[in-house]
Amino acid sequence: MQNTPQQSPITLRINAGLKKRYNTEKRFKRMGISAIVIAMTFLVFLFGSIISNGYTAFQQTYIQLDVSFDQTFFTGENLAAANFPGLVKKTLYSMFPDVTSRNDKKLLTQLVSSNAAFRLMGMVTKDPKLIGTTQKIWVLADDDVDMLIKGHYDRNVAESNRRINDKQLAWIDALAANGKITKKFNTQFFTSGDSREPEQAGIWGATRGSIYTLFIALALSFPIGVAAAIYLEEFAPNNGWTDLIEININNLAAVPSIIFGLLGLAIFINFWGMPRSTPLVGGLVLTLVTLPTIIIAGRAALKSVPPSIREAALGIGASKIQMVTHHVLPLAMPGMLTGTIIGMARALGETAPLLMIGMIAFIVDIPGSVTDPATVLPVQIFLWADSPERAFTEKTSAAIIMLLAFLMLMNGLAVYFRNKFERKW
Amino acid sequence: MLYNYTLPCILILSAAAFLLGRSKAQAITRHSGLRSLHSLPTHYGVLTAMACAIPAMMVFAVWQMAESPVITSMIVKNLPEEVRQLGANEFTLILNDIHNFVEGNIVSDSVNPAIQAAAEHYAELQAGARNLVFNLITFTMLVTTGLVYFWIKAELRARNLVESVTMVFLIGCSVVAILTTIGIILSVLFEAIRFFKAVPLTDFLFGLDWSPQTAMRADQAGSSGAFGAVPVMVGTFLISFIAMMVAIPIGLLSAIYLAEYANSSVRTIAKPMLEILAGIPTVVYGFFAALSVAPLIRDIGQFAGLSVSSESALAAGLVMGIMIIPFISSISDDVIHAVPQALRDGSYGLGATKFETVKNVVIPAALPGIVAGVLLAVSRAIGETMIVVMAAGLSANLTFNPLKAVTTVTVQIVTLLVGDQEFDSPKTLAAFALGLLLFVFTLILNFIALRVVRKYREQYD
Amino acid sequence: MKMKALLLASALTATMISSAPAMAARDYISIVGSSTVYPFATVVAEQYGKSTSFKTPKIESTGSGGGFKLFCSGVGVEFPDITNASRAIKSSEVETCAKNGVKDIVEVKIGYDGIVIANAKQGEPLKLTRQEIYLALAKEVPDPKNPDKLIANPYINWSDINSSLPNTKIEVLGPPPTSGTRDAFVELVMDEGAKSFEFIKKMDKKEFARVAQTVREDGAYVEAGENDNLIVQKLQANPAALGIFGFSFLDQNSDVIQGSIVEEQAPTFENIADGKYSVSRPLFFYVKKAHVDVIPGIKEYLGEFSSEKAWGEEGYLADKGMIPMPEAERAQYAEAVKNLKTM
Repeated sequence: MQNTPQQSPITLRINAGLKKRYNTEKRFKRMGISAIVIAMTFLVFLFGSIISNGYTAFQQTYIQLDVSFDQTFFTGENLAAANFPGLVKKTLYSMFPDVTSRNDKKLLTQLVSSNAAFRLMGMVTKDPKLIGTTQKIWVLADDDVDMLIKGHYDRNVAESNRRINDKQLAWIDALAANGKITKKFNTQFFTSGDSREPEQAGIWGATRGSIYTLFIALALSFPIGVAAAIYLEEFAPNNGWTDLIEININNLAAVPSIIFGLLGLAIFINFWGMPRSTPLVGGLVLTLVTLPTIIIAGRAALKSVPPSIREAALGIGASKIQMVTHHVLPLAMPGMLTGTIIGMARALGETAPLLMIGMIAFIVDIPGSVTDPATVLPVQIFLWADSPERAFTEKTSAAIIMLLAFLMLMNGLAVYFRNKFERKW
Repeated sequence: MLYNYTLPCILILSAAAFLLGRSKAQAITRHSGLRSLHSLPTHYGVLTAMACAIPAMMVFAVWQMAESPVITSMIVKNLPEEVRQLGANEFTLILNDIHNFVEGNIVSDSVNPAIQAAAEHYAELQAGARNLVFNLITFTMLVTTGLVYFWIKAELRARNLVESVTMVFLIGCSVVAILTTIGIILSVLFEAIRFFKAVPLTDFLFGLDWSPQTAMRADQAGSSGAFGAVPVMVGTFLISFIAMMVAIPIGLLSAIYLAEYANSSVRTIAKPMLEILAGIPTVVYGFFAALSVAPLIRDIGQFAGLSVSSESALAAGLVMGIMIIPFISSISDDVIHAVPQALRDGSYGLGATKFETVKNVVIPAALPGIVAGVLLAVSRAIGETMIVVMAAGLSANLTFNPLKAVTTVTVQIVTLLVGDQEFDSPKTLAAFALGLLLFVFTLILNFIALRVVRKYREQYD
Repeated sequence: MKMKALLLASALTATMISSAPAMAARDYISIVGSSTVYPFATVVAEQYGKSTSFKTPKIESTGSGGGFKLFCSGVGVEFPDITNASRAIKSSEVETCAKNGVKDIVEVKIGYDGIVIANAKQGEPLKLTRQEIYLALAKEVPDPKNPDKLIANPYINWSDINSSLPNTKIEVLGPPPTSGTRDAFVELVMDEGAKSFEFIKKMDKKEFARVAQTVREDGAYVEAGENDNLIVQKLQANPAALGIFGFSFLDQNSDVIQGSIVEEQAPTFENIADGKYSVSRPLFFYVKKAHVDVIPGIKEYLGEFSSEKAWGEEGYLADKGMIPMPEAERAQYAEAVKNLKTM
């Protein structure tokens, strides 16, 4: 290039500016990379802190008891009515015979979760042959013991500032020395519902609730949102009314979600008489919350389909609906799915609108259908984050991990379809 | 019981109707040639399926709603006199008992024989009626399908019929948005009016002081109670503004990089990763803002000699900005990606660099979509509660200083609605007034935004 | 493929919807109300659910005001049976209830919630009087130079109020004015503190309330939402700050935070229970009598709640940080529960 004999003034001017333009180019590219790196850093940091706080919740501390199912305990007709808490206490006292004072006995029984008695009850009612035998049984340890074993409590602070006092510490150490304390994988966390005892709390109830709620929200908001976007973008006459509708939908996106809860309370519960606290109502409310997002993203996607595609379709004799369904919609699908991903991510994380329709609640039983009372994952997280017991901190993080896993699964599916539909022209 | 399988049954029969209708249309084409048929064979199939499903669904829906009242009214006359004389609401309790009995749940301890008899009667009637309805639905499906099947001939404009039903569906879906708006206005309006009876509208709109410290119980005299919405609105916009200052540059640059520069494998991984940011529960962001970002800002501020409160708009805004990045990055990425390659090629052909192409060609072409994404992000920022409660507090200061604690409309609404004070006091009703105010305000903003976008929108191909 | 996916999706939806019974009967107790009572009521509900054949009650955390609103909406299966409250019911709420047909309400006091003022262990332990707290937090306080006049609160550091207090900025994280905790704190601490000034005490009721109960809004008092765990963590991050919250959070976090001594009394379980530490407030729940016999299990739930193993001195509610009532009061309320004595 340099050896061209003579350069026109324009070429000279272009060449003079080239270096600057290339530098701008490079700078811009670097800015793009750094923007992504910044966003990713936050993501990694948040993930890191959630996982490091929460991974311990996947294990739970158990204590082994040598329970002798003495005949004398089971005199009544009804096995379930026997004094199982008494049986647990008796077992503990026999394991530490030198504990005699009433106060110490109370401290000793505090090492074991209240769940132990219910576990024994379950075993005996299932298999009455156990009566009269002695069994080695692993029962849940109390949440304070669990926290100590996992190292969340500092042993070295003054006794009065500890939730586990010196005597209890000595008993725990004795149990540990005999191999009677161990950490096991916390299956209960994945199979049971909420509980006020951290060691018994599970996430399955809320997960089921989230599945039902989001299923309804997705099943309604995706088709309705896509249909509304298509109508407004492709069919609606271009006049003041459509402007009004457009402003209206944009505005709905800015309505605080708790107001949608008020709406749900007024319409679905008070007017239609649907049952309170159920995934059915929750799903309907979240449908309304996510609709604006899906419609707006869908319209943006439809707008970006070049008019030539439409003209070509119409030109070869397609009806307007055929043009939309066969040509425009497939091209706009990636954008519609993006709207759905973001909308559903929001729906999955919402708590405020659920407050008004009674889903911020303590629900132990696992919902079996969309009309059973249920709560959802973010509500469970919110409630646990607000609980005084320290052991709920790790449960909260573990629940967040569950929620993110759920989110990634859901998004993964949508992303798969988005990539499938995506094309460049 | 067959009734429980009504919906799957409708579905299966409709699928069958589709095949039936299509095969008849195909038979016609075989008989008198492809061109003789007005519409595609599938259109005839869909028409038949619609005829099968829609009336049946209607019957089913009507019965779902009517079942309980109808059967209840039938058993009422068999209930003892004293039960019948109860008020409407107390009566529902007795009915609940009967329902519980029917479903085999545990019932209250006072099962009297009358209720037991009524429950049995109820179950009997219900079973009978459900069988009847199921038969009716099946009959309807068969009749409507048969009618359409025999109606199908070459001249039948099936496509037009199907498309007009589709149009009704499309219009119906966009009406949902309007209905939602009406519903929202109605559900806040009445309570807001009650609030304005207690607090004058002008005090609310132009008051510079927000301090709902009114008395909570009857035996207390009230302390100060000021309901001026200005500081709350200012706080909302301050925090949203900070959030947008974070989200717009990062989101837009990420989108441009992903759509224009990054290779496709980076894009397929990075884009969904960024989208996760929108799905992390806000409690997590709240803790992050309150326990990591806010103290950091305070320490930096003290180091620089500024007075920073431990709760600051900046902390909440920054973290909120991170949360809404994907709203901008993903939607912008989609629309940038959809800009026709021909435009870029034209620009390159004129000797533009990639940056110049992006700046002068791609962004203007994608502008409406980008604006939509930004508007969604702003909306999300305005509506966010948890981060603000945790990191910026609840004190309403009228300030534009991002280092001070502020509060937002949404936070106040949530706090007021879940408070311990009496629900019908101005203190709670203020939540509705705030909701209405925010609604009107964002409406105006959106109106302006639409005008602006119209002005700059360019249609490319 | 698209058709198949569509069919599959609609089949799934169809089965999900039709698997739901048309009108579900309610066979569980529905409870709403205060977020302060929530952690205690849920423990009882869980015990009850595990040890009886009834379903575990559903307990919503709606705030006392929202709870009464729902509770008073009427009698019937769609309305809650019980509402928890961190304050007594107001007469206007009783009227609303009566208007909607909720006439027979049983009031049950369940115990006390101590309100503590605490800071991080890294900070200095504080000894405060109610007068000092009032001076630190009120919007208007008596002028130190001219003790009969009120001025806007001039105190910036604790040591400005009393030189024996640490020389740190006054920064108190506490509940917002919509909270029952705040209401109780204002009444039990601020009112008493204000009364220590003769001329304020002599004011008429309305003026007194304005002076005593209005909390300063210049940043020294930080309204921090109802998440007490967050306050605890913020205190750890900022050792100079104080926080106001329920006793159970101090109880659970005794290794990282310390309760300030108020009027010579430390906020310990024993001191609150025998009334020496006076900053505590009663907790209640209210039962709709009309529902008792028709919603399964309400009587048993009431029985569980009012049993000694629940709300007694050694009961499991005390383990969770609720301060039990004195024995006589417990007996009185247990009797009221048994006979369903209405208000």
